[in-house]
Amino acid sequence: MTALAILVALGPLTGPAAALAGARARLAGAAQAAGAAVAFGCSLALLATLDGGRPLYAWDGFLYVDALGGFFGMTVAAVTLLAATGSISYVAAQEDGGELSGFQVRLYYSFLGLFASLMLAALETGNLGLLFVLIEASTLASAALVGLEGRARSLEAAWKYVIISSLGVTIALAGTLFLFYSGSGLHLGSNLGLTWPYLVAHAGALAPQSLRLAFLLAVVGYGTKVGLAPMHTWLPDAHAEAPSPASAMLSAALLNTGMYAIIRFLAIAHGRLGSTYPRAVLLSFGFASIIIGALFMVRRGNFKRLFAYSSVEHMGIIAVALGFGGVLGLYGALLQTLNHALAKAVLFLSSGDVSLRYQTREATRVRGLLTAVPVTGGALLLATFAVLGSPPFGLFLSELTIVRAGFASASPVFPLLLLALLGLAFVAFARTTTGMVTGSPPDRLASPYRSRAAVAVTAAPLVLGLAALLVLGLWIPIGLDTVLRHSIVVIGL
Amino acid sequence: MENLDATSAAGVLLDLSGVLILLLAFACLASKLFNRYVVYYGAQSVVLSFAAATAAVAFRSVELWILAVLTLAIKGIAIPLAARRLLVTRLALKRDAAMSAGLSTSLIAGGALTAFAYLVTRPALLPHGTVAAAVVPLSTAVILLGCLSMVVRRHTVAQLIGWLIVENGVFLGAITLVATFPFIVEAGIFLDIVAGVLIMVVFVSGLTRQLAEASAAELRELRG
Repeated sequence: MTALAILVALGPLTGPAAALAGARARLAGAAQAAGAAVAFGCSLALLATLDGGRPLYAWDGFLYVDALGGFFGMTVAAVTLLAATGSISYVAAQEDGGELSGFQVRLYYSFLGLFASLMLAALETGNLGLLFVLIEASTLASAALVGLEGRARSLEAAWKYVIISSLGVTIALAGTLFLFYSGSGLHLGSNLGLTWPYLVAHAGALAPQSLRLAFLLAVVGYGTKVGLAPMHTWLPDAHAEAPSPASAMLSAALLNTGMYAIIRFLAIAHGRLGSTYPRAVLLSFGFASIIIGALFMVRRGNFKRLFAYSSVEHMGIIAVALGFGGVLGLYGALLQTLNHALAKAVLFLSSGDVSLRYQTREATRVRGLLTAVPVTGGALLLATFAVLGSPPFGLFLSELTIVRAGFASASPVFPLLLLALLGLAFVAFARTTTGMVTGSPPDRLASPYRSRAAVAVTAAPLVLGLAALLVLGLWIPIGLDTVLRHSIVVIGL
Repeated sequence: MENLDATSAAGVLLDLSGVLILLLAFACLASKLFNRYVVYYGAQSVVLSFAAATAAVAFRSVELWILAVLTLAIKGIAIPLAARRLLVTRLALKRDAAMSAGLSTSLIAGGALTAFAYLVTRPALLPHGTVAAAVVPLSTAVILLGCLSMVVRRHTVAQLIGWLIVENGVFLGAITLVATFPFIVEAGIFLDIVAGVLIMVVFVSGLTRQLAEASAAELRELRG
């Protein structure tokens, strides 16, 4: 089992290895996708062997995988697989078009693999200090991806991203510090003191005042990575300027990793402080994010910014679901995490194809996608409806669960407000994307790809992601249901 | 883990280092020259390493000794030298003009934040009479001052220094609150800081070059 966990984290490093060995874009991309496939397969196997919810615990808790970590690891590995497959033809086309030099391509694959591997490692540690270290390191690796294109705009976005996120994560470190301090009555050895399973088991003995501060600092700090408002300001710029497959990784994997860290702190805080205080914190940040996200989606412009604000909104929904709590709320939150990751990966990957073909990222200049590029246009349209929570896709199911959890736990004002905001987001988002897929396309659209195989490779992750979303909307596989239930037991709200 | 008494020799020394670190953060906030930012940050890190050494003696901890040496080598010497060579000298940075608030305003705000840090951390959080009760408000104030200087200054190099000051504030708290993180975590944090500074230096140089080219292009367009 230990070997499986290590393989999950090291799998995506095939891309960097190939890039450093001097492979060209297509070969490095294939290596990256193969490594991601290995990581995804191993993460599934790891989940299967966890069986009965008994976690993997080794090396003084530095390696610790339970159902929750395994579930998030599976999500991140799945997104990595989609993004790596989508990278193959995207990056090759950019290299052929002269937009990226060979050096930039090698940089891209080096940091993409490193980024994925650091996030997967962060999900497999039980030590909260190491969790900080790995999340900060993944920030730095992804900042290199944001600034990859080297233009003034992308460098500025990368700078904004790296400085705001680093500051945020440093604040989370201060939170970790106060958490550690709140346990100073426990007389723990230095290695045990930051180990999550130990802290959760002894949550009742923690000092409440410093734990309160620790939880708030952790939500603000890791919330910066999640993109919770008002700490979300880096997010639209970074998502808009990164190469599209990297945007998919940011939105569908990185934000989830931050949310995972918040859930770990939530479990400890809940064990000592009860549900009132964590709920107030999470509902405030959650609703702020949904409102900001929905309002900024109204503006038409860069479609990648639109998707980015939709991520802010969805992270807000997940925070609200965690705030509602209860089995229903947590189930909805976790399911929403997986569904949002898949839908957003499809959206950003199709936006990559769109921006390659139309040579623009402005929504108003894109017309007639369905006629010009049926597969991408169809994927964009379907993923739009999926991400907005219409049936029969998975997000409908998870958002319904969350609203039900709201009615079950809090006052009915909150779920009603949530429904109203979801309606606003629906109109704002669909207004832009339906405009992109309908109408008549411009006369001459040159294909950026060299071969039919490259076109097929572009379509593959879109079809795969949409198929998974459809399945999750109609039926939750038994294995997934078991994993979700075990995760809820692990969190223990 | 025992708490240090505030009146013991080590407690007094730690308290004193904390005050010095806060004063150096204020000095940085009050300065307008890029050279000074780097010097004050370096001095702050040297004091921090002294504080770590003091705690190492008091707690008899080998890991804290390593931390003290690492702090001195990386934050006290390597980062200030690199910042001076790669940023201040190479980009010919002198006076920082990109501020969104005047010096006196930001100093007053800094004073208010320090008072706020005491209000938040002092009363219920920490047992009285321990050194942590004296130093943690100081470290919180340093964190807030670092954030303030990042908000007030718009120049990228100044923001980078602001982030490093926040990091120093967290470390000051770490030394006194919890004595040690596990060594692997400490080493990882240092690695992150070094990697962070490197990648930020790359972005800052890239941005500055692009801006310089942009303004040079403007100059050419306006000719004759």
